[in-house]
Amino acid sequence: MYGIGLSLFDTNLVNRWDFVGLDNYGRLARDSGFLDSIVITFAFAFMVVAGNLVVGTGLALLLNRGLRFTTFFRAVLILPWLFPEVVVALIWKWMYNPVYGLFNHDLQAMGVIDEPVAWLDDPNLALVAVALAAIWKGYPLVMVLVLAGLQTVPKELYEAASLDRAGGFGKFRHVTLPGIRPVLLAVIVLETAWWFKHFTIVWLLTNGGPAGATNVVSIDIYERAFKNFQWGDAAASAVVVLIICLALSAIYQKVLHRDDS
Amino acid sequence: MTRNATRSGSGVAYGLLVLSSLVVLVPVAWMLSTALKSSDELFSQTVRWLPLNPSLDAFARVFTDYPFATYFMNSIVVVTASTVIAIAFATFAGYGVSRFEFRGRGSLMTFLLLTQMFPSIMLLIPYFKLFQTLGLIDTRTALVIAYVSFQLPLCTWMMVGYFRSVPTELDDAAAVDGSGRIRTFFQIILPLTMPGVAATAIYAFISGWNEYLFALVLTSSEDKKTVPVGIGQLIGQYRIEWNDLMAASLYALVPLTLIFIFLQKRIISGMTAGAVK
Repeated sequence: MYGIGLSLFDTNLVNRWDFVGLDNYGRLARDSGFLDSIVITFAFAFMVVAGNLVVGTGLALLLNRGLRFTTFFRAVLILPWLFPEVVVALIWKWMYNPVYGLFNHDLQAMGVIDEPVAWLDDPNLALVAVALAAIWKGYPLVMVLVLAGLQTVPKELYEAASLDRAGGFGKFRHVTLPGIRPVLLAVIVLETAWWFKHFTIVWLLTNGGPAGATNVVSIDIYERAFKNFQWGDAAASAVVVLIICLALSAIYQKVLHRDDS
Repeated sequence: MTRNATRSGSGVAYGLLVLSSLVVLVPVAWMLSTALKSSDELFSQTVRWLPLNPSLDAFARVFTDYPFATYFMNSIVVVTASTVIAIAFATFAGYGVSRFEFRGRGSLMTFLLLTQMFPSIMLLIPYFKLFQTLGLIDTRTALVIAYVSFQLPLCTWMMVGYFRSVPTELDDAAAVDGSGRIRTFFQIILPLTMPGVAATAIYAFISGWNEYLFALVLTSSEDKKTVPVGIGQLIGQYRIEWNDLMAASLYALVPLTLIFIFLQKRIISGMTAGAVK
């Protein structure tokens, strides 16, 4: 609430409180930097959520086959979820290091690239590189949730599908997918909201650079508030993000309701 | 399906599982390898998995050359305090929601879930201003308050799930035997939900231990910073001492790994209890 109030003022938080109404929002709407950062954030959130879903669901399906050593694999695969985001950023920054990093070394050894690539300093690559690190951190949660969802799919359905001569893919499409649909939907929307407002990994890997290529909206707000002290603008941007997140959650509730009926 | 087809299917499955485990383990092994290297070896063009002269110097330097002892102390104090407070409130709130009918119960639950949608960056500015007014900027108290505020909703949500799994007949039976509400709660219901309390506490502890953004903004002096902020500010420096940083990160992973090894099953069931129902 205070944030919304603040977004209507031009203020330094201490003694200057000029009421400017919706001017902050108007300026934001014309601010190409802010609009760019919204677009970048959508791209980032989309890549991460899609990556998490594919990797997380895939691994959950593998873990659900009742193979031996499943407990071991599950323990290893869940590790990144446990890691602090700061540590994840650190590991990846070191691996992406153009001169001493593991990435360039291995890719050169395999002959994929001829010369070192500056992953985090190339405006075309930085966002993808950052998203990769975020997927590494983010997929275990999806995996665990989908795994739990898979336990609720009745075994009889698979037997019935076998009787109907359904192949592996047919079973997945007609039995598994409908069974875990509610979990998947919940995961998609929660994940989108989480990664839409994500700050730490991107900030520590690139500071929003190079040339604003990874300037996600959280970084934009952080810089407005704590670097430039444009509190009103920052609060207005935060309100815009909140509205986007709430819109996403409204869609979520609606979809879930349709599911119940 | 023939047996051969099933077997080759399992082969592919194993292959994929091993591959993804490698994707997880290689960076971790690389981190360990880096921490054991000397600064000279770190900046050599050849990538070596096994350090030439492995040494534990970096692990010692973390505490001698940097104020990480202070950072760790701060992290432990702040996160323990906030976890205890959040759990205390969450158990009462969870019990209340699961046992009593009151107006707005449904909307309370929705609201708790909705707080997950709030961008933390949006809460950051009001919190900053609030703590500034109260003179709490750059204190551990401010961090504890902030952490409780975002641990509490999720903890309450999880605890409601656990209390619902305890049949209300137990409450009724205790009431018939002349036990008051409070006594019933502490002597009968709470002991039964202890596994749930433990899972929730672990969840809260991990989320607090890993938190970065609030700690970054709300603290400024060296003796108030937490471990993530300490590591984070070293990443931003021009010349990064990778071996020291990796050693510090490995220390930061210790409490989490210990918790995880001993309580793996419980964490996973706790994570999923609220989400799937």
